[in-house]
Amino acid sequence: MHASPPSPPEGRALQGRALRRRMPAGGGRAPGRLGPAVAAAAAVLAAWQLLALSGAAAPGLLPSPAQTLAALADSAGSGTLATDLGASLARAGQGFALGAVVGGALGFATGYLPLLSAAVTPVVSFLRPIPAIALVPLATAWFGIGETAKRLLIAYAVLLAVWLYVHDGVSRVPVTHLRAARSLGAPLHRRFTEVLLPAAAPALLAALRYGASVALLALVAAELGGAQSGLAYRLQVDGQFLRVDRMFAGLIVLGLLGVAVDLVLAGIGRRFVHREAS
Amino acid sequence: MSRAVRLEGLAVDYGRTSRRAAVPVLDRTDLEFPAGSFTALLGPSGCGKSTLLGAVAGFVRPAAGRVAVGGTQVCGPGPDRGMVFQQYALFPWRTARGNVEFALKRFGLPRTERRRRALAALAEVGLADGVERYPAQLSGGMQQRVALARALAAEPDVLLLDEPFGALDALTRTRMQELLRRLWQRTGTTVLFVTHDIDEALALAERVVVLGGTPGRVLGDHAVPEGPADPALRARIAGHLGTG
Repeated sequence: MHASPPSPPEGRALQGRALRRRMPAGGGRAPGRLGPAVAAAAAVLAAWQLLALSGAAAPGLLPSPAQTLAALADSAGSGTLATDLGASLARAGQGFALGAVVGGALGFATGYLPLLSAAVTPVVSFLRPIPAIALVPLATAWFGIGETAKRLLIAYAVLLAVWLYVHDGVSRVPVTHLRAARSLGAPLHRRFTEVLLPAAAPALLAALRYGASVALLALVAAELGGAQSGLAYRLQVDGQFLRVDRMFAGLIVLGLLGVAVDLVLAGIGRRFVHREAS
Repeated sequence: MSRAVRLEGLAVDYGRTSRRAAVPVLDRTDLEFPAGSFTALLGPSGCGKSTLLGAVAGFVRPAAGRVAVGGTQVCGPGPDRGMVFQQYALFPWRTARGNVEFALKRFGLPRTERRRRALAALAEVGLADGVERYPAQLSGGMQQRVALARALAAEPDVLLLDEPFGALDALTRTRMQELLRRLWQRTGTTVLFVTHDIDEALALAERVVVLGGTPGRVLGDHAVPEGPADPALRARIAGHLGTG
């Protein structure tokens, strides 16, 4: 589900071309390339089925695809899946929205104002490598085990991810674009909406896609830290009862959720982001 | 309308950072460019000619002295001074027409009028066919045609060009030079044209100011008479350039 995050930017010497190349390749995911993907999925399913039939694993520890599907249908039928999915989506969605808005705004500010960047970047660079899961105990101590702690934890993780990408993208907007705009009499609000925003749009899209994957990571960390419902919470409960079939089903739902979110964001990007920008 | 540009004791330093002191780039310079004149600023790389242009545009803050356009001191970029850059000047996410319309927006015209003017401006630079193309779909020469149309669409009093044809092939470059002369004659805009090419300077300008040295200063100031090329003048300018 989570492709390893694209490596963070390494300084500003590289120009826009390099940025484009570094963006997750999915930006150019061509439709009509489904054949190889379907074939690979079928191969994995077949291997899984054979492994389950071979009896290599201890009884109950490796469900077949059919058993997993049955577990999935079971949780869908009983309503647990809808409850868990709803709870998780609400947390991840609200946390993502908050983190993306604050991180994006901060990224634009530090990317545009070198002085602010000099002040903020070292702080963020220190915070960024601390995994969100390491903050679960602290979030619980401060905000209890309620929804606030989970949302804030997700928002925090998303904020740092989105800030990094947006900051990098905005700071790489060619200075000539902004100079040309000023020479053409564009006031600050036009320079923002008509130059900075479209020029940084590819980076903004990459930031949101990376941020969404980080939101799911942080969601799992937050729910494992204590919850009454949610996809990761359910995994933990199923784990205690060694219901491997249900755990498989839950993991597959998490994976599909990540893919779906990324497809939606990439689709939005194709609609709004001009490919040659920056 | 066009206006005169005056440099009064203009000096520019570059890059005072925490690691090093300021480096003087342009020595105190006094120059006057009359309204409607066409001047080439000629010199080798690093002689401060682009810096001088940047100071007139308002991108570069003077270390001393001042720039005045039509008697008003320059304190930042503004639409009274149009700029054509060597490269990366067009907005890649806007079509040729969109780029020109960006410049027209400051007049608060209705959409249809803005569009009509943009198309007229592009037709004037010989780009009537490529108006809906993005810069990446245009050749270098066509991109600079759009850049010229965009800069002039804002109706500047002064047109500043920083080696705009440096990256073009010889034939395209000659055509662009002819186009620029034509546009200058029609608009009467004061033109400052930065180049390191002596023949380009002589082909275009009424006056050639030679810059050189570190920090840069004026080495020569030559009027270019109308009519056939004058080998003696070229030799004198080349002597100032120090290229024989």
